[in-house]
Amino acid sequence: MTAITRQPGATTARSSRRRPPQRLRRPAGLPWILPALVVSVGLLYYCIFYTAYLSTLDWDGTSPLKENVGAANYVKMVSDPVFRGALWHTLVFFVVSLVVQVVLGIVFACLLHSKLYLKTFYKVLIFIPVVLATATVAPVFRQIYAPDGTLNGLLGAVGLDGLQQTWLSNPTIALLIVISVQIWQSTGVVFVLYFAAIGQIESEVLEAARLDGAGNLRIIASIVWPSVRGTTIAITILTAIGSLKTFDIPFLVTSGGPSYGTEFLGTQIYRVSISFAQVGYGAALSMVLLVLALAAAVIINVGGRRGSATDV
Amino acid sequence: MFETRRVRTRVLLQLLLTVLVIPFVFPLVAMVQGSLKGAGWANYGTVLSLPLLPGFFRNSAIIAAAVIVIVLVCTMTAAFGFSKLHIKGKEFFFWLLLACLTLPGVVLLSPLFATVTRVGGYNTLWAVILPVAALQIPFTTLLARNFVDGIPNELLEAARVDGANTVRTFWYVLAPLTRPIMAAIVVLVFINSWNEFLLALLFLQTPDHQTITLVPQYFVGQYNNDQTKVLAAAVLTGLPVVIAYIALQRYFERGLAAGALK
Repeated sequence: MTAITRQPGATTARSSRRRPPQRLRRPAGLPWILPALVVSVGLLYYCIFYTAYLSTLDWDGTSPLKENVGAANYVKMVSDPVFRGALWHTLVFFVVSLVVQVVLGIVFACLLHSKLYLKTFYKVLIFIPVVLATATVAPVFRQIYAPDGTLNGLLGAVGLDGLQQTWLSNPTIALLIVISVQIWQSTGVVFVLYFAAIGQIESEVLEAARLDGAGNLRIIASIVWPSVRGTTIAITILTAIGSLKTFDIPFLVTSGGPSYGTEFLGTQIYRVSISFAQVGYGAALSMVLLVLALAAAVIINVGGRRGSATDV
Repeated sequence: MFETRRVRTRVLLQLLLTVLVIPFVFPLVAMVQGSLKGAGWANYGTVLSLPLLPGFFRNSAIIAAAVIVIVLVCTMTAAFGFSKLHIKGKEFFFWLLLACLTLPGVVLLSPLFATVTRVGGYNTLWAVILPVAALQIPFTTLLARNFVDGIPNELLEAARVDGANTVRTFWYVLAPLTRPIMAAIVVLVFINSWNEFLLALLFLQTPDHQTITLVPQYFVGQYNNDQTKVLAAAVLTGLPVVIAYIALQRYFERGLAAGALK
């Protein structure tokens, strides 16, 4: 578990710096970290334990009747096709969005480190989707993919009427649309992280490679990609947790549909706990989600570290 | 990075960059264009003349301001404590905090709902402010601690030798030195809390308590899905964050990068 404290900030290595001789004992610090612990750790852990308790109940959230059903809610999950669908959508969402964002992020970062015009302008354009709320942009995407929307209009205008369709009523296309909105919204973050990491590569290394005759693609493959490894691991973790957390986009753009085709754990928990008032089952799903998020962070972190050790 | 000495490569790369950026701009253009269809600028007039609109903005502003204050106070004191003060079992507490980085907000749904209704916090802004702040603090503390670790201990020890107590050291030595990271945190937290949707949807039930992220949905109901008004409302609600981002772009990117490097 110590692995998780290394990412994404890796502070522990730095705190092991040489101590000066202990002439001055450091003042007691507990009161200083208390506000953060009370507000954050207090509230969040209270909620987690409460969720764990709720997950053993059969309860509608309001009635005084609460029945303890043990692990029944967890057993129910195994045979729940919507839950399995949600896991599958999360996996597809994770893999596709990770690959596309990493490629786009590195290409953008390299391009914007080159001598080109209007770089700040392009940077701002890539980053604006990051700062806009999903709630703000969701109507736009619904409008673009609506039957009489922008995309069908464009296809009609260029004579491709045959390709026109009701985009959001096909489950596979709807899932791809949800993923594309995610890519649209978070490539900016990935780009900024790579941009900073690539800025730290020493220019002598790049010049030496260039003198040895390496072309642009060769430099990306042999110098940039290995040196931003740490950033790639951090981005993989962020994307994995982000995929598990996905809620706003499917909820607002596709409402989890059609026929649960874009249901994710987040939207399922909302549907089950609020719309269906099955608080116990929703809490059980939440616990599974929490464990998956923690496990993903640890596994990717450990795996990434081991990989780097064998590389060297 | 890329070789741009030949004019041809330079033009090609500039072209590649432009082509790659188009998909990112297209929805924004569609948003503005869609908002001007039909009645044109009058769509904005209709949205702006809605009597409830200032309330939506005010609620979002109150939530953002309160979250910023709570997060900033908790984060800076905690970063100081974790980085420069003596705490028994410090790394354990830090780990407890960091584990929350992986916590999906939706997990809090049922327990928060049960608790908030029990303490009578339903349909109050606090029901959104506290959980949003709690969810931000792990990340901002990580950022700030990284930054404070880089401040030499000697500076703080010198202040103590001169007779400053811990509070004065924090206020007169640490606070001025940490302004850049505080700026980054303020921008990050502003955008995240301004954009919060799930908790606002869950806890804020009457329009006079709702936030701007709920406006598009409100318009869908009010104007029977009149897309032009919905999109005009979307442009108006998005403007403050875009302006905040462009004005403080440097701090924002620095803050994000500081969190993931090292």
